[in-house]
Amino acid sequence: MFKELNPLLHSELRLGVMSILISVDSAEFSFIRKQTGTTAGNLSVQLDKLSQAGYITIEKGYKGKMPCTTCKITLAGVAAFREYVDAIQTYIAKK
Amino acid sequence: METKEMQDRPLNEKDSLALINQMILNTQRRLEQGTGRVFLIWGYITVLTTVAVWLAIRLTANSYWNYLWFCIPVFGLAATVLFKKKTSGAKSFVDKVVKYIWLVQGGAGFLLSALSIFHVMWSFPILFVIILLMSMGSILTGLVIEFKALVIGGIIAMAIAAVHYLINIYDVKLLTFALAFLAMDIIPGHILNYRIRK
Repeated sequence: MFKELNPLLHSELRLGVMSILISVDSAEFSFIRKQTGTTAGNLSVQLDKLSQAGYITIEKGYKGKMPCTTCKITLAGVAAFREYVDAIQTYIAKK
Repeated sequence: METKEMQDRPLNEKDSLALINQMILNTQRRLEQGTGRVFLIWGYITVLTTVAVWLAIRLTANSYWNYLWFCIPVFGLAATVLFKKKTSGAKSFVDKVVKYIWLVQGGAGFLLSALSIFHVMWSFPILFVIILLMSMGSILTGLVIEFKALVIGGIIAMAIAAVHYLINIYDVKLLTFALAFLAMDIIPGHILNYRIRK
């Protein structure tokens, strides 16, 4: 039986972001942008979607005098990520 | 490590798993950059200070040269701040654990050294205790960051500490002290930097 894939995570960019955040305590917007190679606008939109789903928290602050946005994965995000990986593995195992 | 631009597009299952693995690996690599530097800083400063103390006391027979040991925390801290690894923009739990290990080990080491140098604890085997403390820090760090050379270096340094304690010859004590830092800081630091650069 195939498990349903979470549509929010089944996107290259959002999955990339979640994979980064799962392996760190927190990451700045600029770090995620560099790692994903995407544009700031596109990344902002996807971060908002993940935040609205409760998978990540976004904190806006300052680093010295420069504005700095920091993202962190939530417990719900970790659980969703785990479920997604489990679901994908069932697809690969059945093929 | 260039990443191709990611888009908001669906992936097949295999590509999804490959992407997860790649992103986690890239992130870890980026976080590791510059990690070996701190071991090299403390290792070289400790070895050079040991040689300086040994030479100064040999040449002048004046024990006041022991105050040179304070060069280790002074130059060590200054160099650590000066050559601090550039913040990558991400913080990992491992970074946090390693930072606290060294804050506790370093703080205890500094306190004991100060008490010993200012003659509060006359017969305290300070060099032996410092090797033990720092080798514990190296082994713990090696286990946390999963880097075998640091664990092995720490264990070798502990064995050197035993030799250091048992042989009561001043020259041998300083030589074994320097050797311990070579084993647990300098060699693993170079290996770590080489591994990251590869």
